[in-house]
Amino acid sequence: MSVTVLKTEKLTYIYGIKTPFEHVAVKNINIDIEKGELIGVIGHTGSGKSTLIQHFNALLKPTEGSVFVDGVDIWQDKESTRNARFSVGLCFQYPEYQLFEETVGKDIAFGPKNMGLSSEETERRVRTAINFVGLDETYLDKSPFDLSGGEKRRVAIAGVMAMEPKILVLDEPCAGLDPKGRDTVLSLISEYRKNTGSTVMIVSHSMEDVAKIATKVLVMNKGEEAMFGTVDEVYSRADELVSMGLNIPEITSVFLKLKEKGFDVRTDIYTVEDGRKELLRYLKGGSAK
Amino acid sequence: MIKDITIGQYFPQRSFVHSLDPRSKIILTVMFIVLIFLCKNAWSLLLMSAFLIAVILVSKVPLRLFIKSIKPILPIIIFTTVLNLFYVSGGTTLVAWSFIRITTKGIYTAIFMAVRIIALIMASSLLTYTTTPTMLTDGIERLLSPLNVFHVQVHTLAMMMTLALRFIPTLIDEIDRIMNAQKARGADLESGGLIARSKALIPILVPLLVSAFRRAYELAFAMECRCYQGGEGRTRMKKMKLGLRDIVSFLSVSTCIAGVVLLNKYFGSLI
Repeated sequence: MSVTVLKTEKLTYIYGIKTPFEHVAVKNINIDIEKGELIGVIGHTGSGKSTLIQHFNALLKPTEGSVFVDGVDIWQDKESTRNARFSVGLCFQYPEYQLFEETVGKDIAFGPKNMGLSSEETERRVRTAINFVGLDETYLDKSPFDLSGGEKRRVAIAGVMAMEPKILVLDEPCAGLDPKGRDTVLSLISEYRKNTGSTVMIVSHSMEDVAKIATKVLVMNKGEEAMFGTVDEVYSRADELVSMGLNIPEITSVFLKLKEKGFDVRTDIYTVEDGRKELLRYLKGGSAK
Repeated sequence: MIKDITIGQYFPQRSFVHSLDPRSKIILTVMFIVLIFLCKNAWSLLLMSAFLIAVILVSKVPLRLFIKSIKPILPIIIFTTVLNLFYVSGGTTLVAWSFIRITTKGIYTAIFMAVRIIALIMASSLLTYTTTPTMLTDGIERLLSPLNVFHVQVHTLAMMMTLALRFIPTLIDEIDRIMNAQKARGADLESGGLIARSKALIPILVPLLVSAFRRAYELAFAMECRCYQGGEGRTRMKKMKLGLRDIVSFLSVSTCIAGVVLLNKYFGSLI
């Protein structure tokens, strides 16, 4: 049933090799990512998250080890490297700074055009993508520089979605957005995955964001893979996360404290909604889980 | 590839040359450049080169850095050498074959020009290797301050220069980021002819310009918020002072100039 779409083997990357500034950014990463999953990648600043994801679409060549997309080593020949560019869509931090065209429509079409698609297909993809990010088609003729920050961000994400990648990788898609903007972006990413069945990866600082939508979590620490598992598995090791300088969702720490004080509550609570249900259950006196 | 640009690279070191006042270093460099072009025969050229190498040794900046700074200019050096070799006539003719004529004067001029250009590059690199960009602009500002009388905004010019230098690394990082983002959208920057390649630059240049303007506005606001209003009445954290070292350096360069002038007189001129 489960199909591996992305796999890394002993992936290591060293910056400035053979110079005084040599620095190991990513060390011995072995992960398997299955089709349709939504992976949250979390880690402290400088933990190697951003370096890691740039390997997936062949922007960086591993110093050691290999990356497989659909079972093909992406550095095997030129053709596979080019394929990786398109089958793994990478959306960088603050993607709104990459917008350059006169109109939103043209900008979103940049990716599909580079893939060599016909103009009808490009047109179709642009319309689908703008709908995915929750903007209507009147936006297509506007200048991207006239939009608000949140709208620009969504247009930029649409630009990557329009390439219809098998794996969509987003680096801090919520950075610098207000809470409402964050929720919008997160839910549209989640919707996108549901509708297209593609695999999505989100790099984030925020445990709350990841807990809300991810199916699996990869925790990076000092360039190494610290944990990789389901949300429950990872968040149950709260102490370790804290020692890595990461925060568990606030609601989870509330429940951990309650448990510590002797209340018999569950501790695998990551959203306020679940917390409310759990508290109600507890208050009604049902100790059975 | 962009990271190879070396403009105003400072090489930190504790040396006599590093500790000189930036103003005197600028003036001394200008004096030395004049000196380079005063040399008229082999002896004065030798004296000038020996002096330059001595100063480089005193500065404790590795010689390989100077060789590196000459590399990009190499085509120009070769070009002028070849031109001089064939086009300067005078003295005895050594080779005369169809349209090619090589004369002794041509050879001398070619060698002189090559040595002069190399010395010129090395002397100016010495200035940037031993002086931080901020010190350099401070020095220029002070040297040009008499122009204030003519209502030239010297302070503004110096501030612009400092800011421009400050933003070079930032913009290089920015270019890297934008290039990666566009490559992720399938932009092909490496192949195609001249027109295809220049077209491929648009997706990089537009965002770069937009962000440069954004940064400029932000910086201007930040400076205004800290009550920046130009040079008038502004004091400095580091006062520049001329000391014994500067006098010693001025004396030695002057002596070298005198030596070159005497050698020119004594041995006659070759070119």
